Amino acid sequence: MPNVYLRRTNRRRWLAFVTACALLVAGQLWLHLDSRQAFTGVWAGLAWLWDNFMPDQAAWHDLPTIAYQLWRTVVIAIAATSTAAIVAVGLGLAGATTTGRVRWLRGGVRLFASVMRNFPFVAWALILLFSFKQNDFTGFLALFLMTIGYLTRAFIETLEEVGGGAIEALEATGARYWPIVIQGVLPAAIGGLLSWVLYMIENNIRDATLVGMLTGTGIGFTFDLYFKSFRYPSAGLVVVALIITTIVIELLATHLRQVLTH
Amino acid sequence: MLTITGLNKTYPNHKRGLKDVTLTFTPGVTAIIGPSGAGKTTLLRSINRLITPESGTVVLGDQEIRTANAKALRRVRRQIGMIFQDYNLIEELAAIDNVLHGCLGAKSWLAGILGRYTAAEQERALRLLSEVGLADFATQRCADLSGGQKQRVGIARALMQEPQVILCDEPIASLDPASTQAVMTLLTDLAKRGLMIIVNLHQVDIARDYADHIVGVNHGQIVFDGPTSALDEVALAKIYHKEAVVTDA
Repeated sequence: MPNVYLRRTNRRRWLAFVTACALLVAGQLWLHLDSRQAFTGVWAGLAWLWDNFMPDQAAWHDLPTIAYQLWRTVVIAIAATSTAAIVAVGLGLAGATTTGRVRWLRGGVRLFASVMRNFPFVAWALILLFSFKQNDFTGFLALFLMTIGYLTRAFIETLEEVGGGAIEALEATGARYWPIVIQGVLPAAIGGLLSWVLYMIENNIRDATLVGMLTGTGIGFTFDLYFKSFRYPSAGLVVVALIITTIVIELLATHLRQVLTH
Repeated sequence: MLTITGLNKTYPNHKRGLKDVTLTFTPGVTAIIGPSGAGKTTLLRSINRLITPESGTVVLGDQEIRTANAKALRRVRRQIGMIFQDYNLIEELAAIDNVLHGCLGAKSWLAGILGRYTAAEQERALRLLSEVGLADFATQRCADLSGGQKQRVGIARALMQEPQVILCDEPIASLDPASTQAVMTLLTDLAKRGLMIIVNLHQVDIARDYADHIVGVNHGQIVFDGPTSALDEVALAKIYHKEAVVTDA
């Protein structure tokens, strides 16, 4: 019996492998792709990138401008995330089954979070561009509106995970709603909530670059400017600076998360 | 005295939690025993209205609890401490903070929000931690305590309310034998001071060793209510064997 089972499993694996290979070949024939050319083309493309985007002496002169624009981007991302977090705590409390006291409001908050979360921030940026024109506030608002959806959803789940027992225990002492929330629910959930905020700050610094390209602000706009004026080494320096910044922010966030949750 | 009369509870899935339960509790340890799903927790939570029964009365002193308005309910809950199987502590906070939460119900709205506790309350919280043998752990995060220690913090929190009654929902279910003995001894000591201790238990031998009075529940009905000495094999068969359950039509 085990032999039959093993033979059957082996046959299925081979069948899956052969099917995948057949699909790959069929796809390439359909699209007239040459795998060999694509493989060698990637290396040629990377070599071109290395030659053109490698920061040169002139690019280093742009470093103060890049650093300043990067700083502005980081500040916008942190400001948008923190402001959204404050609003999302209120919405999370109203939307969580453990803390939300009004059923229709709970449903409304969840619907709002879903709509905001599923509306791409690029679309927000383009829409807001018409109303608020090209400035930092437009970028801030696009990130804020997208973050509020994500954080509200995440906060609802965090509050529902940790809130139940704490609320029940404090309700049993005869405590009122807000003392229970402030003294019981939030201290129990604070590690999880801050963890989500740090994650969104990391994400928003990356997204702020793209928003900046669209709204004409921050490091995104600087990259766009260098790229379109064929100053590739300076654009390359922007990419290097962005990678370093996001890695540093990630490391800081990981450290902070460990401090807050242990 | 705590009196329950004609209490009924049916869950939304049509399962009867309690069927016409009538009981009287006096100071001392009362153990509620019965099989899983018999209605022990429903009975206990109906007392402080963490679950609201459909009919019947629960009276502590001269206050009816089942129909009390929000303000009266909060007032009467201050007199009823509760200990949970899963401790229900704020694990991120220190033991002393959790104990101080016991008097949150007695504080004004603003003082409650700000977490302002008087020096006397802080001293009492420390004294209670010392009474349950945790004086050295007052500033330690509850997440770092053992199960037995957490349950003793839970007891100190309940005592912080200066209650007349302490409800214990399977307080030793997750504890090792040594911690079980420590917690049960603590509860019997409290009963000797004149408190009503009502404790849900799964272990009949523990109920026999520590309780003064035993209530047997099966299918939401009271099938035994008497002193511990009266709990014989016939009574146990009635509590734990389905065929022994008396059903009303």
